[in-house]
Amino acid sequence: MVQGSWNYRTLIGGGFGFALLPVLRLVYGRDRERLRAAIERHTALFNCHPYLASLALGAVTALEVEGEDAVVVERFKTALRGSLGMLGDRLVWVGWRPVCLLVGMSISLAGAPWWVGALVFLALYNAGHLALRIWGFRLGLNYPRSIGERLRQAPLVRIQEWLMGAGAFLIGLVLPLVIVGAPARDRLQLASALPESWWWIVGAAGAALGVWLGGRARTIAAVALAAFTVLGLILGLMK
Amino acid sequence: MTLAALVLWGVVVGLDATSVAQTMLSRPLVACAVAGAILGHPVEGATLGVVLEIFALLVLPIGAVRYPESGVAGVASTYALVQGGEPELTAVPLLLAAVFALGWERVAGGSVTLLRRCNERLMADAPSRGAVDAGRLERLHLAAIACDAVRAGLVTLVGALAGRWLVSGLAGYWGLGDEAAFRALAIALAMAIGATLSLFGMERKRLVLLLIGVSCGLAILSFR
Repeated sequence: MVQGSWNYRTLIGGGFGFALLPVLRLVYGRDRERLRAAIERHTALFNCHPYLASLALGAVTALEVEGEDAVVVERFKTALRGSLGMLGDRLVWVGWRPVCLLVGMSISLAGAPWWVGALVFLALYNAGHLALRIWGFRLGLNYPRSIGERLRQAPLVRIQEWLMGAGAFLIGLVLPLVIVGAPARDRLQLASALPESWWWIVGAAGAALGVWLGGRARTIAAVALAAFTVLGLILGLMK
Repeated sequence: MTLAALVLWGVVVGLDATSVAQTMLSRPLVACAVAGAILGHPVEGATLGVVLEIFALLVLPIGAVRYPESGVAGVASTYALVQGGEPELTAVPLLLAAVFALGWERVAGGSVTLLRRCNERLMADAPSRGAVDAGRLERLHLAAIACDAVRAGLVTLVGALAGRWLVSGLAGYWGLGDEAAFRALAIALAMAIGATLSLFGMERKRLVLLLIGVSCGLAILSFR
């Protein structure tokens, strides 16, 4: 729930303070003024990847329990902010999530029962997701002063590299299934024979155009699809 | 009753997207399949889910970027497909529901931006309205999550009703046949899948892996 009050000014600051409340109550419980000051400090601007927020939470918990100076804790959080954000974005949003989704989609497109692709995706993704959260929290809690070094020792770069390779393979796997439209053709009561050879060329050209356009392709494809839909409706009205 | 269950599922999906857990129930692949199951048409939901998921792959919630919310829009458009389409799934309602979802996810994304502006007033401006103690922080944080739940519910409900109206109203006017509708969708998806390669890089060894993947995909097709 660390992103529950996400906003453009303090980002996940409010959620970070909320998640830290049990620790702050334990450390400053009897001193209301110090508790209030600590809440104010920890609800200020903070941002990092939501899954790696557990690492920051673990480390700040350890520092607060040890009675570390507030200025040092603040400096520590500032140092952690950018690097945990970038690390999580590359590892999870760009790596783990699309790879797991492509696994789920390829299962669905290969003709498995409707629930299998979604279930495999959820199980696979969340196994990695929860493992990352737990690993991060334990790392932060046990080694708050050497997080940078520990992160460098962890095989994160290797994992990321492996995910990039797996992602490229899975895109290749999914592409012919999408061009043919399997298994949706059967479900949509369309002729299910393999398409004509020219269709393969059109499909491959579409994919190549997507590769060339990169991130812009999504909007362009969506707008082109909408325009085609409007054209089809206008032609239907004219008949 | 079914619509109420669907809206409730939309709330779960909306909360999962950012505010609570982020277990990816909010991905169209999952959200649409479950929405379809709630409506008694899981295959239709799962089919639409795969279509929307391919479009959603490229959306990355990095930093403070504003992005379309595909999960809630997927739930709404599944309702549009099942209730607005024909008894048997055909390509035209699928195309219309997908196009509607791609537009509605922008509306849903806009509502997320609006919510975050409200959170700014609720949370970031809180110290200017008095000291924030533990109890007040808890109330503010939970209030922000409650607002997100209401937002997701409303976006699902309005989207579902508007989508059903559009799909049922327009499907009869389609003039290019089912095959053309299906192929338009397939080519747009091929483009989106190609673009996803930009996430993984274009180095030589990745391209080799891509080609190996294509061979495996073709092998699967030939065994079907």
